[in-house]
Amino acid sequence: MGENKKNMFLKVLSVVSIVALFLGWQLVVDFGIVPNTLLASPKQVIEMFIYKISNANPDGAVLWVHVMTSLQEALTGYLLALVIGIPLGLAMGWFVVVEGLARPIFEMIRPIPPVAWIPLAIFWFGIGLAGKVFIIWASGLVPCVINSFVGVKMTNPVFIKMAKTYGATDWEIFKDICIPSALPMVFGGLQVALAASWTALVAAELIAADTGLGFLITMGRRLLKPDMIILGMMMVGLTGVIIGIIIDKIEKRLVAGVNK
Amino acid sequence: MENRIGNDGIKNVIECKGISKYFGEGANKKEVLSTMDLSVKENEFVVILGPGQSGKSTLFRMIAGLEKPSTGHIYVNGKEVTGPNPVIGYVFQRYTLFPWKTVMENVEMGPKLKGVGKKERREKAQYFINLVGLNGFEDAYPHQLSGGMKQRVGIARAYANDPEIMLLDEPFGQLDAQTRILMEQEILRIWEKEKRTVCFVTNNIDEAIFLGDRIVMLEGKLPSKMKKIYNVDLPRPRDFTDLAFLELREEITGETELAL
Amino acid sequence: MSKILEANPNTEVLEGARSSFSIKKILYNKYVLYVISICLFLIVLDLFAVLQVFGNFMPRPIEVLTTLINMTVTPLAGKTLPMHLWASLRRVLIAFAIAVFIGVPVGVLMGFSSVANAIISPIFHLFKPMPPIAWISLAILWLGIGEASKVFIIVIGAIVPCILNSYNGIRLVDESLKDALRMLGGNRRQEIIEVIFPASFPAIFAGLQISLSMAWTTVLAAELVGAREGMGFIIVMGMNLSKPSMIIAGMIVIALTAFMISMAVNYLERWVCPWKTELETTE
Repeated sequence: MGENKKNMFLKVLSVVSIVALFLGWQLVVDFGIVPNTLLASPKQVIEMFIYKISNANPDGAVLWVHVMTSLQEALTGYLLALVIGIPLGLAMGWFVVVEGLARPIFEMIRPIPPVAWIPLAIFWFGIGLAGKVFIIWASGLVPCVINSFVGVKMTNPVFIKMAKTYGATDWEIFKDICIPSALPMVFGGLQVALAASWTALVAAELIAADTGLGFLITMGRRLLKPDMIILGMMMVGLTGVIIGIIIDKIEKRLVAGVNK
Repeated sequence: MENRIGNDGIKNVIECKGISKYFGEGANKKEVLSTMDLSVKENEFVVILGPGQSGKSTLFRMIAGLEKPSTGHIYVNGKEVTGPNPVIGYVFQRYTLFPWKTVMENVEMGPKLKGVGKKERREKAQYFINLVGLNGFEDAYPHQLSGGMKQRVGIARAYANDPEIMLLDEPFGQLDAQTRILMEQEILRIWEKEKRTVCFVTNNIDEAIFLGDRIVMLEGKLPSKMKKIYNVDLPRPRDFTDLAFLELREEITGETELAL
Repeated sequence: MSKILEANPNTEVLEGARSSFSIKKILYNKYVLYVISICLFLIVLDLFAVLQVFGNFMPRPIEVLTTLINMTVTPLAGKTLPMHLWASLRRVLIAFAIAVFIGVPVGVLMGFSSVANAIISPIFHLFKPMPPIAWISLAILWLGIGEASKVFIIVIGAIVPCILNSYNGIRLVDESLKDALRMLGGNRRQEIIEVIFPASFPAIFAGLQISLSMAWTTVLAAELVGAREGMGFIIVMGMNLSKPSMIIAGMIVIALTAFMISMAVNYLERWVCPWKTELETTE
């Protein structure tokens, strides 16, 4: 009983904490403790949000377009990273030749932080879709490959030996034993890749873009509109969380399917 | 029940009166131990015998003061147990050595907590390290030791704290058969040298007969109850192939569902 | 070399015949393959550059090397390459120190006190999904384009793993170790000093490791957006001057630094907690 009471108290405390944060934020702006040129109140951000739903000014596109642009760039690059990275990582884990040839190059690319690809990507592909897709692809690829590779390497050797004694071929072992047992690791990589991609995308849009959430943030700064900056930041966070949840759902369904 | 040995005037150091233990509340309520009475005399070697998951560890944790009984009372040296009491030395099944401390630092922990000076506690720890046969390994870290050696450290650590009562909770459960027999002989040797009251939990019948003055047998199902108490009057060192040993073994085995 | 080039396209097909030919055996050796791979990579790059497959977009590897050496001795925007590297590292170190100084105590507090956790964690989880770089505009607005705004967003990036790992490190200390100490007569204070702190140390240290690499990524992002010195500045300059060799040379230095930081931290870890192998092998 005491335990339940305490949990209740802690939950209430959490809610109070969030409410206090927003209230404090609102008051700090309302009373002019922080000038409105530096910080917008939550109310102003919401008003901006409503305004931007239907108005393209002052940054040239409605909110929806910015979100969709970012999403399109992110998902294209991300899917390309999965399609190339996962098979490559799996193959590197099982086939000595693939590992021998791909690993050194991969190890060279691995320590490069995703954002460091931005100038090269822009230089090669320009500031449009292709450049962004490349950046996302480069940042998502590394976790995809690593996790798939490690996943295969961690396959229980007993299963492999058993399959061998039953006369399974290399390919069969790879297909029927290594890949299924690597799947949880691979899925783990998807979330990591997503986080890396999303951060890199925002960075890329901040530097060079004409639409997208990062661009919205940059425009907010150029126009000295903190409400627009904060709206952009919140949309970035929110969209990231939503994609994360969707991937998590897909992952759970797939894992359940595999286990059957 | 505690009077089975007869009133010989030796004081009871542990007395459990009508204790039971359940976890959870309402529909989730799960009874682990149901009304149990048990007393242990000074310098006695009592073995609690029962299959896995029969609440043996829970019983020990309650005697040690790490958990409270749901009903009933436990007295150690005539005083009710309210919390952990260093009068009791506890040897855990999973070793639970401090991984960041060397063998010496682990063993001297008890005296150190009491504020004993470095020189004195080192000497004491050294004595018990020698007693368990680990001289030369003082500066090793636990991860460098085998299972048997780790448990020797666990035993030395408990003894170095000068307990009056030793609780050994399936201390050899994780060891291989060979090491186990060796450790059983070892524990008797130490017990002869450092007379203490010892309570020992095991699920191994041979181990129980080999070690105990008295064997307390528990019911195999939850909630666990006391089933029967055997007095083992065989002289030490006992021989696994001795006729009396085998007869007792037969008798106990007959009582156990495990034998089926 | 030509023989190897011929052999390579077939390697997949040859999988089944692992042990038949000795030449193949040599070719299947990992380390031989590593060397082949790197040589091939460089040759292909060079060929592409010489043949201008991608126009002028791809520099020759040798060109990258000369640019690298050039930048090391000739100043760019008043600073040589090592000076730019130091500019970035300095920002990272300052921000990292601040992040550790604030993040670890906050995480530890959250781990110990469920009340503190109930207050801080919802706010923490509200801010966490926003990538640190998304703060840059606000940071510039508040603190100007100089050092402070850069340090600010690096702190934002680096503080998350500090808080998260300290919190989980403290919270997830093995209960049985606490029991063991209590049975030896330890009180609450001794439990904190002798068990909780050392037991949570590896998790906290791992947090610092992640934090440092986060800081290195974030400093680049910050420098890309606006800076007059630093490694991010160099690669942006390469982009603006249309000098791919400069971008790639910069990326090489960035990657090497990241690699060296992680090596150094690994080494440090083995030195400060020699017992850590235990935690990886049990269970």
